[in-house]
Amino acid sequence: MSVLSKDSPGKKTLFMGNEAIARGAIEAGVRVCAAYPGNPSSEIIGSLSQVAEELGLYVEWSVNEKVALEVATAASFAGLRGLTAMKQNGLNVASDFLFNLNLSGTKGGLVVVVCDDPSALSSTNEEDSRLYAKMCDLPLLEPATVQEANEMTRWAFGLSEEMGVPCLIRSVTRLSHARGNAELGRLPKNLPIPHFDTSRPIVPQPVMVTHKALHDKMKKCQDRFEESAFNLYRGPEKPELLVVTCGPGWMYVLEALANLGVEDRAGIVKLGTTWPLPKSFLAQHLKKANRVLFVEEVDPFLENNIKEFCAERAAELGAKTFLGKASEDLPNVGEINPDIVTRAIQKVLRVSYEPRSSQYAQEAAEAASLFAPARELGFCAGCPHRATYWSLKNALAMDGRDGIVLGDIGCYTLGVRPAGFEQVKTCHAMGSGAGLANGFGQFERFGLDQPVLTVCGDSTFYHAAIPALVNARYNRSNFLMLILDNSATAMTGFQPHPGTGRTAMGPEAPVVDIEALCKSLGTKLQVKNPFDVQDTMDAIYQLLQDREGVKVLILRQECALVRAKRQKALYKILVDQERCIGQACGCNRRCTRIFKCPGLAWDPATGKARIDEAICTGCGVCADICPQSAILKETV
Amino acid sequence: MAFHKDPWNIIITGVGGQGNVLASQILGQMLVQQGYIITIGETYGASQRGGSVMSHIRVSRKGQFSPLIPEGKCDFVLGLEPVEALRVLANYGNPEVMMLINTRPIYPIDVIAGNAAYPELSVVLKKIQRLSRRVWTLNATEIGLELGDPIFSNIVMVGALSALDLLPLHRKGFQDIIQEMLPPHKLTLNMNAFDRGREAVQELPLLPTPHV
Amino acid sequence: MENRGLQALESGVIQKDLCTSCGACLSLCPYLQSWRGRLVKLDNCDLTEGRCFANCPRTRVNLEAIHQEVFGQKYLDIEIGLFKQVKMARASSPDLRKKGQTSGVVSALMEFALKEKVIHGAVLTHRTPDHLPRGRVIRRPDEILSCAGSSYVAGPTLQALNQGPWDDTDRIGVVGTPCQVLAMRKMGVSPLKKTNLADRVTLIIGLFCTWALTYEPFMKYLKTRVNGASIRKLDITPPPERHLKVITADDHTWDVPIDEIRPFIRTTCGICLDMTSELSDLSVGTVEGVQEWNTVITRSDLGEEILNRAEAAGILETQPLPEENFKHLKEASLLKKRRAILTLKQRGELEDGYIVLSHELIGQILSEAKEAES
Repeated sequence: MSVLSKDSPGKKTLFMGNEAIARGAIEAGVRVCAAYPGNPSSEIIGSLSQVAEELGLYVEWSVNEKVALEVATAASFAGLRGLTAMKQNGLNVASDFLFNLNLSGTKGGLVVVVCDDPSALSSTNEEDSRLYAKMCDLPLLEPATVQEANEMTRWAFGLSEEMGVPCLIRSVTRLSHARGNAELGRLPKNLPIPHFDTSRPIVPQPVMVTHKALHDKMKKCQDRFEESAFNLYRGPEKPELLVVTCGPGWMYVLEALANLGVEDRAGIVKLGTTWPLPKSFLAQHLKKANRVLFVEEVDPFLENNIKEFCAERAAELGAKTFLGKASEDLPNVGEINPDIVTRAIQKVLRVSYEPRSSQYAQEAAEAASLFAPARELGFCAGCPHRATYWSLKNALAMDGRDGIVLGDIGCYTLGVRPAGFEQVKTCHAMGSGAGLANGFGQFERFGLDQPVLTVCGDSTFYHAAIPALVNARYNRSNFLMLILDNSATAMTGFQPHPGTGRTAMGPEAPVVDIEALCKSLGTKLQVKNPFDVQDTMDAIYQLLQDREGVKVLILRQECALVRAKRQKALYKILVDQERCIGQACGCNRRCTRIFKCPGLAWDPATGKARIDEAICTGCGVCADICPQSAILKETV
Repeated sequence: MAFHKDPWNIIITGVGGQGNVLASQILGQMLVQQGYIITIGETYGASQRGGSVMSHIRVSRKGQFSPLIPEGKCDFVLGLEPVEALRVLANYGNPEVMMLINTRPIYPIDVIAGNAAYPELSVVLKKIQRLSRRVWTLNATEIGLELGDPIFSNIVMVGALSALDLLPLHRKGFQDIIQEMLPPHKLTLNMNAFDRGREAVQELPLLPTPHV
Repeated sequence: MENRGLQALESGVIQKDLCTSCGACLSLCPYLQSWRGRLVKLDNCDLTEGRCFANCPRTRVNLEAIHQEVFGQKYLDIEIGLFKQVKMARASSPDLRKKGQTSGVVSALMEFALKEKVIHGAVLTHRTPDHLPRGRVIRRPDEILSCAGSSYVAGPTLQALNQGPWDDTDRIGVVGTPCQVLAMRKMGVSPLKKTNLADRVTLIIGLFCTWALTYEPFMKYLKTRVNGASIRKLDITPPPERHLKVITADDHTWDVPIDEIRPFIRTTCGICLDMTSELSDLSVGTVEGVQEWNTVITRSDLGEEILNRAEAAGILETQPLPEENFKHLKEASLLKKRRAILTLKQRGELEDGYIVLSHELIGQILSEAKEAES
């Protein structure tokens, strides 16, 4: 029931930015779409997978972003149109291929959508992917609205085909996850049949030739950008301040100028094609003012490139004052928002502005800080990771040698926080936990006496950890790898992966069995259910005493949210109010104070724990950790 | 109904997992069908795991707006959780804001663990009243539980909002959207939730002393 | 509010390396465990009043109050504590004599107490095949011998006391080292007395003790010392030899000079003032230079009664303790006190340590105790 596949040109609907991109790709005749889930990009391929069958597309969740890009590129090489989408980190993973693809060129339109996460709202890092466009010499588009996301994506395929290179589209959270009115365009007809012309190899060599050719392509691209309607100017002929912006900054600037009442004093240059720069277009408007303020997400990309440009054309454009992130007139970390933009413009134009009385602002801030307790991130009720980290914590305490736990990406990344009892000590990129473990696992020869462990999710395993495991076996590194197999790519929205038996397009797929894989590598292997906390703790402890080579312990238990969709609770849980001793010596609220499952609540009135039935999923682990056996689990 | 302010800004706030995003989608679509231009900004991702979530909805006849509401410019708060409703006022509230609040608390982990106190509901509501023009409340979670799943609380709240007559949100419009968005067997329960919300919502008596 | 719970236990005892491994803080709650002779804390506890702190022999000891509670009088006898009689004794049964560490007296007394239903259960120390001592609850007299034999390694015997399981009417007997006895007497005067088992422990047999070893490092060292062989029995020969005899599975006996194992003596033993278990009902130890007999000191009415009854029933044989041995016993005991006081002073804990002694008492001990010549 998706509006994405509707053949109703002109129909108005509310689209998410990512859906608008997906629809734009559909309207441009895309055939092959591949991605690895990553917030805030996941809904692009996610929504395409729901209409794939209906529209005759091939849509795939790939094991990682490099393979995804390669799959989409195969489409291009075969004369079809291909699309891939990823978060900023994904582009890092795919970049080696991209740096060869720019030189080899492409055939069918290929669009690479990268969605950055400013402020790292759900990432380990903050990164400006636009710099790849400059490094790779590829065209870059930045949509500012949901409607534009649709139109740009549609246009990008044609541009890519014309130029013979992939086209990058950069989105951010505030566009990808925003919703806005959009109008459906036409669905394509008569999509081509794939064919690869073997008489014409597609390779980056000879590099001197292809690199030169790439520069020529970019010059041609710049000419196209000069005419693009995605770039525009709005404002007076002689503004006091020129604001150069792109992406959602456009909407922030419009609203800031309106709220400040300075629409007649400031002019806005909105760029939609942000690399290569449309130089003539820019020159025309840069002449208008001496002060230029740059409003963009993450890095001073436009700011620095346009400063460079202005230096080239100094005679023509005159001396300028540049204000932005590089000059720290806007914060140089974190995402921008209408208030940040308002304050910056306020300062430059010396406007006084109070959105509301300062008395109100103060009282509201005080009330919130006094009466709205902070919400620390946590595992869901019934999450197997809570049980895993519980057992891990206890096993490491018993072992007593200050074990090092190297973390990785997924819901279980929360192991660095109190939610995971702060067990995890490092977390970087996909598969890095296993990579680091390989290193630490070699240091016994230098006197390291701390045991080495790494936690790795099932999806992460397929994405990046397998080479590290091969390395461990081959180089005989000594560490314990805990594979937390909850049968889901949970953090990003439960997309399927090679272990789930489903694909983006259907319910039946071979299962790539992690156990079989580990066995074939010759690693020592055990499988346990993390809900059996004593058993799991014993297994971890025993494995830590083994100092020979890499050991794998698969902790397999379905994600609580995935299970909840299929079936009701395993058990009905209740706290026996008579047996619960609450805060008394002998317990001191072990369940609510230490285990901290949100399904449990501490009732200060009665001095006992109780179950919050709105939240409890009935996994039963709390029953096993209560020292008084006061928590009862009844089979339903 | 016409309103004098354009855009009219709504914040739906709650805790990750309460169905914040679905509620904003439904409201947004209902208003698009009434001819409005809607912009919605969402904060989710890791915040789903028990963290605070917000949807900013800009309702306009004129055009799209920033997906984030500027400071102090919220006109209406749909609070799926009491302290979250209070929390958003810090940045987005103003004396004219109106609030519809689900009174069932969701305790943060630190409160459950005994490291922080969850304030008395009456204190929270009083604070909210001082910082707003009108406040309506209902225990939407309770109703959701009666209907079989606390997740229906977000639909109950949509129903409650429709009863306030501040926006053209009608039962038929809701039904159309639900039929378009969800599989057929989910219709009845969702309509029940909607209707129960309409019935249950009640306005808090205005405070005797003037608010801030 | 001053913390008298786990946090204070950690900062005042555990982090200062003063834990004696008595086990009195274990099996009370899920946060403290003992693993291979080590105290393991699984989680923090923020209670301001806890049984772990109250029971611990290394948190503040009010010696006068305890002495009053146990014996009904002030602490006067500084040499070997209050006593009624001091004798030599040995088990009559050759079997018990052979299986016991010295002469089977402790085993014989406990077996008798169980048979006579003076107690319903005994908490003894059992050693695992790799010499890790653990507490064990024995309810059947014929199971006593599973716990015979001394251990030179400290082990959490009192964990078994806390764990039980016990019936509501059980009377309990415990054999323990001086620190373990002290812990039980602290339980007897604890503000949290209602929730501990002090009232049910009706018979305490204390052992003489000069020091104890820390399990893991000691065993690791010993293993390398005997070239990895499997260790069957350990025995420290009395002075003047002072060897640790290690008998391995292949029946080989290794003689390890005591000085080699001194590094593994627990730090906390250095501040212990009690060699003869002065707070028990009766105390049992070796007799210097006499292989087959134990020294027995009776202190309470029950202790005296048990010894007399056992002798009357033919379970034990007793003899007077020669004056010379008695003199040496008192000297050794005073010497331990003196050393403890000097160590406390060195650690800056004389005024403020786990046990507060009056100036007179300190003066008395220091003047009367004599260092050995060699």
